[in-house]
Amino acid sequence: MELLTLFIIMLVILCAGLAVQWPTVRRQSLPTYPQRAPFLGGGLPDTHAWNRYHVRYYPMTLLLIAFEMEMMFMYPWAVVFVEKGMMAMMEMGMFLAILSVGIVYAWREGVFRWQ
Amino acid sequence: MAVSWLRRLAARAPVPVFPALGVHGDAMLRELALDPGVELVGSPRHASVLLVAGGVPPDQHAALRRVHDQVPRPFATLWWRSEPLDGLENATRIDAPSALSDALIAAHRDVMLGRRGSSPRLLPDEPPNPWEGLGDDGHGGEGMMGGVPYGRPMAMNMHDDLRDGLTLDSLTFRLGPFFPALPPGMQAEVTLQGDLVQTWAVQHAPYPLGLDAVFFDARQQPVSIAELELARARYHLYRLFHGLWLAGLESVGLHVLRLARSLTPDSRVDGLRRRLARCGFFDLTMTASAALDDEQARQIGGPAARAAGLADDLRSEDANYRRLGFTPVCQQEGNTRARWWQALAEIDQSLALARQAAARDVQTSEVGSVETPRGPWREGQRPQDASHLLDELLPGLEWGEALAAIASLDLAAVSEWPLDASVAEPRTTPPEEYRA
Amino acid sequence: MIWEQLVLPTLTVLLALGIGAYAVAVLDRLIAGALGLSRAGSAWLAPLARGAWLLTQSANVTEAPDWQAWRLAPLLYLMLAAVGLALVPWSASLVATDLATSVVLWGSVEALATVVIFLHGWSANAPLALIGAYRYVALGLSYILISMFVLIGVALPAESLQFTQVVASQAELWNVIRQPLGLPLFLIVGLGVSFWGPLNLADSTDLAGGTASEVSGPPRLAWNLARAAMLVAFSGVAATVFLGGWLGPWLPGPLWLVLKMFAVLLALLLAGRLLPRLSPERCVTLMWVVLLPLSFVDLVWAGLEALL
Repeated sequence: MELLTLFIIMLVILCAGLAVQWPTVRRQSLPTYPQRAPFLGGGLPDTHAWNRYHVRYYPMTLLLIAFEMEMMFMYPWAVVFVEKGMMAMMEMGMFLAILSVGIVYAWREGVFRWQ
Repeated sequence: MAVSWLRRLAARAPVPVFPALGVHGDAMLRELALDPGVELVGSPRHASVLLVAGGVPPDQHAALRRVHDQVPRPFATLWWRSEPLDGLENATRIDAPSALSDALIAAHRDVMLGRRGSSPRLLPDEPPNPWEGLGDDGHGGEGMMGGVPYGRPMAMNMHDDLRDGLTLDSLTFRLGPFFPALPPGMQAEVTLQGDLVQTWAVQHAPYPLGLDAVFFDARQQPVSIAELELARARYHLYRLFHGLWLAGLESVGLHVLRLARSLTPDSRVDGLRRRLARCGFFDLTMTASAALDDEQARQIGGPAARAAGLADDLRSEDANYRRLGFTPVCQQEGNTRARWWQALAEIDQSLALARQAAARDVQTSEVGSVETPRGPWREGQRPQDASHLLDELLPGLEWGEALAAIASLDLAAVSEWPLDASVAEPRTTPPEEYRA
Repeated sequence: MIWEQLVLPTLTVLLALGIGAYAVAVLDRLIAGALGLSRAGSAWLAPLARGAWLLTQSANVTEAPDWQAWRLAPLLYLMLAAVGLALVPWSASLVATDLATSVVLWGSVEALATVVIFLHGWSANAPLALIGAYRYVALGLSYILISMFVLIGVALPAESLQFTQVVASQAELWNVIRQPLGLPLFLIVGLGVSFWGPLNLADSTDLAGGTASEVSGPPRLAWNLARAAMLVAFSGVAATVFLGGWLGPWLPGPLWLVLKMFAVLLALLLAGRLLPRLSPERCVTLMWVVLLPLSFVDLVWAGLEALL
């Protein structure tokens, strides 16, 4: 039942959003080419914008993956935490400590800088 | 009818105005920023009225046409002390500043209610390049690339990156002269890789700055130091407004504008400085980038040079300034952050000088040369345009840093005509070269 | 049965989303007016008038957008906001989606928001929108961990990942007092997920509107609506996990929740007007080096507090 409600809500919102956009967008024809050029304060680009973009925070995204994996362990851990008591605390504390060292190391290596 | 009901409601919204600034148009922009009926927007896509404020030189008419055609229909144009472009004969021209706000609101309302048609398209509906190539998307050419899908080639110009030497695509485009984050009139060809500026080539210098008439008078005769210093403080407050707007602090920016408008020798900026320091404007928004070396600082002169530690100021040569205890204030680093500290320090100093001078009614003693807020104006030599320095300063900076650096630098030449005492009186003789 | 479990919760969520988005627009204007950024006309009518104007304006098209992604991104963002709000319990029994894993689902809403906002900027095929999109990813990947650690913190005393259980666990003391670091950190996440104010890296002024710089007309209305709705959804979650949700004396539960949501919205909108935008690089470093360790501290604090 919960998921059915969620599904209905999503569906209604999708329809409402389409209803806002669709009638006007559908009626109008494509604007002229000069209007469709990207806004650059009167200037023009040489090429389309899509390119092999230089993502400068790339090392940070790798660091994120390490943490995201950890999150998977943390969800079940959170549920049994009180039951397991101090033991669970120590284990996760060690885990976090190791990761914190990782952050400090990454910071020292300049991972969070645009490179 | 539902549509007309919708349009009547739409007519009541504050007017979204995209300002395309011509010569001395920024003075009007500051008036409009405080106008409750007008909302200034940063992209023509978000505008209902295109306002061209000030004359636009003929070589930038092509760019103005492009911006005009980028506003989605329906929209109106309004020309403030500027001649409408060919093809817009019915466009409204306004010269009296007091009428502008009402005209903007009326233009928006008329367009919404259908009393006035949308501004026509000026440029022919053609793709930027004839569409060539093979295949469904026109990509054609060699391998994956080579054609011009939708009239433009794909980005495939590989360059080694400035910072880490990776070879990836770069984007080259021309920015301005109506990009709101740049000084009015400035045009540059920019190459980016990712969001890092690889090359920056200024193609058109920003329009000359209009200074307050008191700086012109100071070169002819002794003038009241209080008046001169208040004009200086006001000038820096205006620059700060732009910097704050760019940093997303519009509410503080408007506070600064109001302060500039009602500036007296008793005004204080300590509170403003504390507020900016506390909200992280200097530390989290501005970065220690775009530092000037001595040579560059000397070329720009004025506050930018003093922010880099050069204690050059024509006011120290004036006996009456020295009597008031004037010594130039300086910062050391010469970077974006230091320039904003410097701007606030200079405002503070100017207000202090104005307070003392007003109490004793002191006048300047030197005539012929004057320290303008832009830099020293020695005998016959106005501060010259220094925007070419951006070509050296900006490569290697992230986009946001680069624009913040431009906002913190004051690079345009000083115009030979003073700014109208207020925008309240229309200029009688517009400068010949900018008559559109 | 159908009424209580399906129709009523659905209507509540949809109404809350619509009224909430309107309330955000009105509240933001009132705050702006109080800070000296006054606009003509009544604050109550202005958002409606603005919406009407956007409906009459024609929708812009770029040279070669990724059509599906460009038009769907605002809708998907709005949908994510609705999913978030559906998780919020209005009272012990009035919950649209009372999952045993509400916290996990909210986490996925935050993660998908990054994808959708990126898509909105990328699909326009315009240089400035593209920069805004990639900038936002840097922010989105930075705040998501803070959010997760803070939310795990509130799950510890509840011994459950269910929002109703989290609220029930606050019967004696709200989490905002029990875990003092939690709410401030979570508010930063809220600014991030709706890229509001100081964390508006996606649609910033230096990019002439960033991911929205090429968007006009009805799609822009949908985008603005979605942003406001996301703020509402976030404030609902924040009120639930930190301010005791529906708990409170005298007044009925849903009303308490609404009041608490308003308090959260007020804090977010004020921060949005009072703080300047962070530089992207500074922002990433701040999140990882300062705020993430703080969220560790918050988690350890929450753990010790739960055991005592």
